[in-house]
Amino acid sequence: MAAVVAILPLVGVGVAALTGETAAIPARDIARYALTSAALATLVALATGLVGTLAAWLVVMHRFPGRDIFTWALALPLAAPAFALAYAYADLFDVAGDLRIWMRADLGFDLPFEMRTLPGAAFVLTCAFYPYVYLAMRAAFVNQSAQALEAARALGCTARQVFLRVALPMARPALAAGVALAVMETLADFGAVQFLSVQTLTTGVVRAWFVFGSLTSAAQFALPLLGAAALLLWIERWGRAGRGYESAHARWRPLPVTDLKGVRAALAWLFCFALIAFGLLIPAGWLAIAFLGVTPDWPRLIQAGANSLTLGLMGAGVTVILAGALALGSARTPQLARLASLGYATPGAVMAIGLLVPAALVWRLAPGAAQGFGAGLIMLVYAYAARLMAAALEPIDAGLSRVSPSMVQAARSLGRSPAGAAWSVQLPIARGALLTAGLVVFIDILKELPATLILRPFNFDTLAVIADNYARDERLANAGWPALLIVLIALPPVVWLTRKIAASRPGAPA
Amino acid sequence: MNDAPALIVRSLAKAYGGRPAVIDANLRLQPGQITCLLGPSGCGKSTLLRLVAGLETPDAGEIEAGGRLLSGPGGVVAPEVRGVGLVFQDYALFPHMTALQNVAFGLSDLPRKARQERAQAMLDQVRLGARAGAWPHTLSGGEQQRVALARALARRPEILLLDEPFSGLDAHLKGEVRLSLTEALRAAGATVLVVTHDAREALLMADHLVLMHAGRIIQSGVPGDCYLDPVSPDAARLLGEANLIEAVVSGGVARTAFGEASAADLPDGPAVLMVRPEGLRLDASGAPAQVAQVRFGGGYHEVQLEAAGQRAQMHAAGDPPGQGAAVAVRIDPALARVFPQAAVTV
Repeated sequence: MAAVVAILPLVGVGVAALTGETAAIPARDIARYALTSAALATLVALATGLVGTLAAWLVVMHRFPGRDIFTWALALPLAAPAFALAYAYADLFDVAGDLRIWMRADLGFDLPFEMRTLPGAAFVLTCAFYPYVYLAMRAAFVNQSAQALEAARALGCTARQVFLRVALPMARPALAAGVALAVMETLADFGAVQFLSVQTLTTGVVRAWFVFGSLTSAAQFALPLLGAAALLLWIERWGRAGRGYESAHARWRPLPVTDLKGVRAALAWLFCFALIAFGLLIPAGWLAIAFLGVTPDWPRLIQAGANSLTLGLMGAGVTVILAGALALGSARTPQLARLASLGYATPGAVMAIGLLVPAALVWRLAPGAAQGFGAGLIMLVYAYAARLMAAALEPIDAGLSRVSPSMVQAARSLGRSPAGAAWSVQLPIARGALLTAGLVVFIDILKELPATLILRPFNFDTLAVIADNYARDERLANAGWPALLIVLIALPPVVWLTRKIAASRPGAPA
Repeated sequence: MNDAPALIVRSLAKAYGGRPAVIDANLRLQPGQITCLLGPSGCGKSTLLRLVAGLETPDAGEIEAGGRLLSGPGGVVAPEVRGVGLVFQDYALFPHMTALQNVAFGLSDLPRKARQERAQAMLDQVRLGARAGAWPHTLSGGEQQRVALARALARRPEILLLDEPFSGLDAHLKGEVRLSLTEALRAAGATVLVVTHDAREALLMADHLVLMHAGRIIQSGVPGDCYLDPVSPDAARLLGEANLIEAVVSGGVARTAFGEASAADLPDGPAVLMVRPEGLRLDASGAPAQVAQVRFGGGYHEVQLEAAGQRAQMHAAGDPPGQGAAVAVRIDPALARVFPQAAVTV
């Protein structure tokens, strides 16, 4: 059942693309959008791969001032939605902005770039998404075998050669998985690229729906995205299958950590700090400095904040319940979990368009039954659950793996039904994992924009939606508050999650 | 004592992906008795246990307990309502519950207070009353096993199953654990089926012994009978060291290089004589043999004998013969059995 939740919208996309009224947008445009998406994805893949890997290698294999804090702080940019970064950087580096005017006048030179371009968007998305690569690579490096590294040193490799010839090849699956996640997010992003005027397939999906009102066209933009999603998922799977590289069975020993001194320590510190600065501190700081002076429309902001929280909690609750059921059931049918993970690779806009198809069917069959406010909310929560099922599934699966089959069987032999055993044994033991899953989903929903835009009930605003509205109306100053609020709400759970991740790995500093 | 068996297993069969694990198993547990199911690893004994517990569904056959059909052609009773308790090899204590909560887990039909009292009484019975509030990971292996036992017994199961209760324990702990386990089981008056591959523990613990080999139950009976009168070389080897020596039967007597034994019911021709190491005796009037090796084994010496190109092992009490010495041996008929050659599987 839970797997069907994730698959239904994807079937919807296919149906919509192949049937319905003819497209209002020529195929050439779709190709152009697709090319832009591909270029953007390539740039972000290269940049996040490089930056995330380097940061993970520095933090895991070296000792320098601040390393213990960087270990978890490097993941903090996950709290900032990409569109918030886009607003901040677009404003900060605006050609007519204060910074550039001052530079031109007083320093006599101009920055040689422009944010509202493809490279600009790639920069913003790299700042936002490098933590996916960082976390995957950190886990891979922490779990690598100290013996293999020491053997390489004993065979005459320098520290750099150890990294290039042993550690990096061993971590290649993790790199593929991390970069695949970053690219998935890049393809799914709407708020940032839309604001930076870069036309990707996802903006195409949303425009086709809002501007042309054509479900068929929207679905046609969505189809290549779905194809890319399937490909990325396959890459990510391949990355996981490669976990055999990790030395799960080798006896664990502390990794040979290098002490960095002087200039090298300063450079390492600077690199890590710069990442956090570009990913979180500068954009959040600039939004605060530039826009907090603007008095927001308080009632609207508070209402949107409440809506965001409600949606986040509802979505997290529903998703965790479904993912929990799926995880408990998947012991018998592992294929279901694999199907559900296709939803995670699917951009939210595509998911929303896909949902409109079955919804339209319901509307036609029972007019009035599926209309109105409640129905819209249900659709939205459904879209979140379908999209984020896999993200919730992973920690829950890991948590449940701590329950041995004999514990479940013991509960059965002590008088519990299968459901009773799940309730009294499996779920309590996986409690922490359920919380983790809920927070991951909550944070993602908070930052979600395109699906919310398409599916939300009339006049139902979330923080992300009003930020986007203001930004599109060229009232960027007003977008600062809601964007910052998202960061502020998301930050505590992100801190909690990243600190937990840092503490749970065997190689983490005590 | 009631004579009706507490559990009857009839023609039970189970295969995994075409590979038979349990073949035509028949078993009876007498009420209040400890039955040990002994077999090498992979012989299907754990599968048989799981079939009785209801954790696996048989392909054929019936399981009946106290006159109630638990499993048969008509259907299968779910494990939670079988009245069958189970102590797992890894104990399977719930890590998120204290010892007391673990024991109280299966008593959810009792009111809260009664549940606590009964759980505490069960812990007292296994001499862990003082550790009621302890978390499982703070208990030693033996203590964890006793909590698991108390947890299974708390529901007063008609039948209690124990899966390899000695496998996780150090050799020097086994005796102690066996004694306390037996004591607790006797006190509970439970009908018990113990699955183990440890011949020594099975012999010492069982009222009734069941031998299993390659999916089949090959012998059952009182431990002493099984030991002294195995039905086949396989059964003999399951219960301890056994020499298999080439023999020739003629006129109801089996002759070997190490002596002879009676084989009244076998036809003339080649056969195999099985004799326990303690069934070979030094005897001046016996058959000549050479001492190939002598090793000190604690309460006895292990002597490798060689005669006519065959080897046999003897346990010698007292002063052993020297290495290379020429000795004379005979076979104690009470500790030897003769089988037709076809009975040897290896």
